[in-house]
Amino acid sequence: MRLELRDISKQFPGVLANDRISISADKGQVLGLLGENGAGKTTLMNILSGLYRPDSGEILIDGETRVFHDPAEAIRAGVGMVHQHFMLVPVFDVVEAVALGAETVSGPLGTFNRAAARARIVELSAQYGLNVDPDDKIESLPVGVRQRVEILKALYRHSDILVLDEPSAVLTPLETEELFGIIRSLTAGGTTVIFITHKLNEVLEVADKIVVLRRGRVAGTAVPAETTRQALANMMVGRDVELIVPKGPANPGEVVLRLKGLQVRDDRLEMAVDGVDLEVRAGEIVAIAGVQGNGQTELVEAIVGLRAIDSGEMSIGDTRIEHASPRQISDLGVAHIPEDRGRDGLINAMTVAENYILDSYHRPPYSRRGVFDLAAVAARATQGVKDFDIRTPSIETVAASLSGGNQQKVVVAREFSRPVRLVVAAQPTRGLDVGSIEYIHRRIVEQRDQGAAILIISTELDEVLAVGDRIAVMYEGRIVGILAGESATLEAVGLLMGGAEFGGAAA
Amino acid sequence: MTAAAVIAHPEGLAARRALRAARIRGVVFAALGLISFYFAASALETAALFSFWIDKQGGQSAQLQTSVGALWIVAGVASGVVGILQLVRGAAFPWRRWLFIVFPPYIAVTIAALLNGTAANLTGVISGSLVLAAPITLGALAGILSERSGMLNIALEGKMLAGACVASIVASVVLNTFNVSPSDPGYGTAALVGAMAGIAAAMLTGALMGLLLAWLGIRHKVDQIIAGTVINIGAVGITNFLFLRVLGRNTELNTPPTIEPLRLPLLADIPVLGPIFFSTKPYVYVAIIFVIILTYLLFRTRWGLRLRASGEKPAAAGTVGINVLAIRYRALLLAGLLAGLAGSYLSLSAAGSFQMGMSAGKGFIALAAMIFGAWHPIGALGAALVFGFADQAQSLLSILGVQVPPQLLNSVPYIVTIIVVAGVVGRVRGPASAGMPYEQG
Repeated sequence: MRLELRDISKQFPGVLANDRISISADKGQVLGLLGENGAGKTTLMNILSGLYRPDSGEILIDGETRVFHDPAEAIRAGVGMVHQHFMLVPVFDVVEAVALGAETVSGPLGTFNRAAARARIVELSAQYGLNVDPDDKIESLPVGVRQRVEILKALYRHSDILVLDEPSAVLTPLETEELFGIIRSLTAGGTTVIFITHKLNEVLEVADKIVVLRRGRVAGTAVPAETTRQALANMMVGRDVELIVPKGPANPGEVVLRLKGLQVRDDRLEMAVDGVDLEVRAGEIVAIAGVQGNGQTELVEAIVGLRAIDSGEMSIGDTRIEHASPRQISDLGVAHIPEDRGRDGLINAMTVAENYILDSYHRPPYSRRGVFDLAAVAARATQGVKDFDIRTPSIETVAASLSGGNQQKVVVAREFSRPVRLVVAAQPTRGLDVGSIEYIHRRIVEQRDQGAAILIISTELDEVLAVGDRIAVMYEGRIVGILAGESATLEAVGLLMGGAEFGGAAA
Repeated sequence: MTAAAVIAHPEGLAARRALRAARIRGVVFAALGLISFYFAASALETAALFSFWIDKQGGQSAQLQTSVGALWIVAGVASGVVGILQLVRGAAFPWRRWLFIVFPPYIAVTIAALLNGTAANLTGVISGSLVLAAPITLGALAGILSERSGMLNIALEGKMLAGACVASIVASVVLNTFNVSPSDPGYGTAALVGAMAGIAAAMLTGALMGLLLAWLGIRHKVDQIIAGTVINIGAVGITNFLFLRVLGRNTELNTPPTIEPLRLPLLADIPVLGPIFFSTKPYVYVAIIFVIILTYLLFRTRWGLRLRASGEKPAAAGTVGINVLAIRYRALLLAGLLAGLAGSYLSLSAAGSFQMGMSAGKGFIALAAMIFGAWHPIGALGAALVFGFADQAQSLLSILGVQVPPQLLNSVPYIVTIIVVAGVVGRVRGPASAGMPYEQG
């Protein structure tokens, strides 16, 4: 079916999320919707799927104006949405999860006709090559398969228009390739696909046409054959950006961080980090790649003292830190940029200045005998805001009201204001705009060049390849391979991330 | 050069730990079985005499004569078989269900050993357990309905208490309007009408309280535990006031007709089983019927699928166009009807009038039964039977001739609740989103 969104506008308090956006896609086409976080992609798709109502503008399906008051109406009109965070009931099996909301029933009590639903799912999976066992429980399935279940869910409802919101965020590169294969077989069958992403490579590979959104508006359109990554990135940001991180060769010195046989359990007491050996030297950046949930979070928490370890050795320089407190570790010269800045990096309700001294509020010159010297606090925060170009109305502004990029700058500025021997940066650029990403990367490389050891953990392959002098791949709690940064390829790292044997992939 | 083989998903640590726990459990069951055989050897000569009423309570009795040793053997075999099944089937073995096979022989052998050769009639104890289990089952079903939809229902206690109070008043008033005395020929009909009116009023009260909880928890997103506690406290306050200030002076408002046991035709004539199961209070029949109906509705119908989705992952239901909040409102309404019904038992059937604070924690015991029964109606019924049996401790011990202070006996059901919830339940997983407000777009 042909889909057209015409002049869609949507205002939220303080933000014009969509400003007269018009896009269209023909039957069987893949429309790539590219944009940074906050560009308005998700708002636009929530309007299309009936979760929000637009302030103005119209939705046309096959030339006919449609108004969706709720998700059910959008589904009836043939719009199927695969959310970034899967909308599947974990304890249901595939049949129940797919049929939910579109059950065929019989009898006076509305008995669910499971056999019919199951048969239809089997038929659909065969037709589109979506390999799924209909009797498996959702919670036992790997994310790649869960995504197939989500797509089945849309097909089950006869969706002719399929919206995929950041579908590759949780997938390994191999699974992403499989997804692209599925998308091709869907479009061959006449389904229209809208593919939302912020990853340049992906739209270039899979889309028939590309619409770039920036700050709620259409910034431009392109056809993959006639455009480049650079051109798309510039369009997305609105100015010329550097896609590669400028950095010279590493100059590794003595070992700063040493991990030996490290084992750490997660909150459910399962072994999340299962025997990690790793050394990070002064003056080098070691980037840990891996799909989310392979023990990276627990590894970082163990290193910075936030999580007790099960066994193994950890040292910074000559100091053993297995039982050190977070403060003792930070006093050793460890800067920590946490994965979730809203939870572990900042106190949202506190001001920029207060957040700025979270690491040192207890010592002079910021406090004496338990009383703050507010002038000294303000002086330091003011300096930091200036040095790190933090865009904030004042140092008394609460952290929650800053943009993501500026929040992250507050964290980085605070962590880098101490003498730094080791930087532990988990997902340092998650959710940031390209400008902020550039800035953060530059600052991290600067620390390296000044002789700090850097450990970056990222699920974004592009980031790992761009900044890592050495790249370690983590899979199911272990380091399954370490590659030299300059010789590492997307394919090699991607295979390791999916659990390929070391040696096979690196050779 | 080796091919880039993908490591198959290895068995997770959780699975390994579950397997280890399963093995330990299996060994414990098997060991219990062996110990039982050891006891059997020394007790083969001791007689175990149980008797049951054949046709009705206090009529002819049938004797079951065996020996304590034989009972030990039965218990040992049950325990041993379950232990072996557990070892063979591993972590997937539904051992909680099999506890209901293992427990009864041990209870029987314990009683027999305490009796030490003297005879005892157990019909009363067993049918009494069944009757006491009925309101707990109904309350647990109310809890299952609401929690499966995503709403915590701490307010069960208050709903049962209010239901008991309203049932008594309305039933009394309706009976009084007939102006008949118990000796009059029309009294039976009048009592029936009065009781039905009382039950209906109690159910309505529970439903209204359920709607209040829903309104607080859904519309205003008040923490559901706090909202439930407020309702519980309110119910205690209002019923105490009514009892002291109104019912105390107007006793005619608190003399409802009582609901007597109902003999089911034909079935009640089955020897031994008839007096236990088929000439008991109607609440038992109603509770069992509701267990069956609710099991079917929850797991076989569209309604149940959507209700469970709302309690597990409401966003998944909302995005496919299901009205999660409407489901939760309706679930609390239905749960209120059941809780009110359970409350009416207390005043109309158990005590014969309303007393202050007469729910006495039954609502919370019902919640414990819901958890012990893993949020499944049949499991809840089984759990309620355990609590009902615990409640029979007094009559059981008096049969055994054991002297225990009554205050201690009264606390047995609560002690059993604590043991069951803290120890036996272990890690039962409830609905993932119960208690969490859902933001509907």
